[in-house]
Amino acid sequence: MAAHRGWRLVRLGCRLLHTEPAAAPQPQPPSPLYPPVVASHTAKSKSAKRRRLEYFYQQVHEAPSIAEKLRLYGRLQRLKYVVYPQTFSLNADRWYQSFTKTVFVPGLPPAGAEPAGPEAPDLSELRSLACDALLQEHFYQRKRERPFLYREQQHVPAPFLTQLVISLTAALGSRNPLLAASCLDLKPQVNFYWERGETVVCRGYRTGRIDPVRFQIDDKPQIQIRVPKQLPEFVPLDYSVAGEVPVINHKPDKLPLFKRQYDNKIFIGSKVADPCSYGHTQFHLIPDQLKRERLLKANLADQIEVTYRANGIASLFAWTAAQAMYQGFWCEADVTRPFVSQAVITDGKYFAFFCYQLNTLALTVRADQNNPRKNICWGTESKPLYEAVEDNNVKGFNDEILLQLVQFLLNRPEQL
Amino acid sequence: MASGKVLYPLYQLGNPQLRIFRPNFFMTLVRPGVPQPEDTVQFRISMQMTRVDVKNYLEKIYNVPVSVVRTRIQYGANNKRNHKNQRVKKPDYKVAYVQLGQGQTFQFPNLFPEKEETPEPGSIEDIQKQFMEKERQRQTADPRRGGVTDWFGL
Repeated sequence: MAAHRGWRLVRLGCRLLHTEPAAAPQPQPPSPLYPPVVASHTAKSKSAKRRRLEYFYQQVHEAPSIAEKLRLYGRLQRLKYVVYPQTFSLNADRWYQSFTKTVFVPGLPPAGAEPAGPEAPDLSELRSLACDALLQEHFYQRKRERPFLYREQQHVPAPFLTQLVISLTAALGSRNPLLAASCLDLKPQVNFYWERGETVVCRGYRTGRIDPVRFQIDDKPQIQIRVPKQLPEFVPLDYSVAGEVPVINHKPDKLPLFKRQYDNKIFIGSKVADPCSYGHTQFHLIPDQLKRERLLKANLADQIEVTYRANGIASLFAWTAAQAMYQGFWCEADVTRPFVSQAVITDGKYFAFFCYQLNTLALTVRADQNNPRKNICWGTESKPLYEAVEDNNVKGFNDEILLQLVQFLLNRPEQL
Repeated sequence: MASGKVLYPLYQLGNPQLRIFRPNFFMTLVRPGVPQPEDTVQFRISMQMTRVDVKNYLEKIYNVPVSVVRTRIQYGANNKRNHKNQRVKKPDYKVAYVQLGQGQTFQFPNLFPEKEETPEPGSIEDIQKQFMEKERQRQTADPRRGGVTDWFGL
């Protein structure tokens, strides 16, 4: 007995003596015997839903390539609102601003860099190019067929716009090396799919569940210029703009906007592997159904500018956001640098210029909780390029519009 | 669309134009079941009317500036049965959503606002109300007993 007690004392003493040197190299904790306690994956509970969402976000974050990321992002197909940039809906620009979290600022962005020096003498050459294109379509080329119903825009303004852009791009290629390395697309597809806000499902087997509101834009600009390097930002990323994003508390159905279910496509005009993956300028042609004369006849004169603005906001948002997704950003991984693009919207005679800066892609409810950033769209009113074309003569050619067009095309980053 | 049969005299070039066409259409302004934007007014219209008819009707007769009209037909259900087990159809009707022009807005008024009834002191309703209040207070249990009924005890 005494021996046991002594042995116990000796053992305690040994432990007391040995604690100090053993303090620095801590003994390794044994690997956990049981797996971590997490919420269920398949239960009908909020924590299970949260876990499934986290797993989905983790999968998209860890996708090996951009194409795989896009595929996983748009994998689930559900009913979504199809947003048409060229729409007859009234006050569509306010609705589109609320869908895309955009602030519309009238006028053009503050011009940062000083313009290139010798521009005035070249303007005559460019003016002659523009007048040539105009006269070719309006006067020289004898078009035998009368345009069919709603085909007038394709008859004369579309080829004029194409010819104008191609000739101006070729002429300014020497001044702007970015244009020389650019890619010009004719009638490309631009698609984007996003979610914004939440609603309760009202019909079907999923009645009563809270769902994000999904949107899809499928746009077909007339001409598009894509470049390998990104345009410089107009304002810093977290710039606070003087203006508000309009908040509309009605369902998008009231616009009217309709739902369809199909492929969630995200496309800038070329596939992911294309080197020209940034956007420079888009050129849109107003369709026959939304022409100035038709709106004036239907007593909707105030909607003329609205159609231009809605077209600019929707098309440019889709393009810049698709460019951002091509670089790997998405709503849970917000953009770290602003994406910038320009657009010129015309109906053949009247031109309106738009600039868009995408500052945030985080438009879902979860990502938008602490997001002070807003996208910004600058836009001008539509002004005529010429007064009339009469037999071999262009009357009242407006040089300011041509100058603005040239400045748009000459826009380039400083390093180039 | 002439309402009723009227015999007009035969028309020859130079005669005054006597024929009067009054629309036989009727429109009902209704309260929207689902909240509509501020510039949208909801009507129930005749099944034979088109959106062009609605626009002309409002602009010419009531001088209301109209931008755009959208219509739809609401199917009336045929599920209810009467005492003979025959199906009873609820009639179909056409709904028009009219968006007003010139920035005008419209809100369907509250036709039956809830009135705060304050009876005059001294009138019969006031005495009745006070009597009912006293009765109600007498019926309620003693709050000091903490919800326990009065028959429970020693």
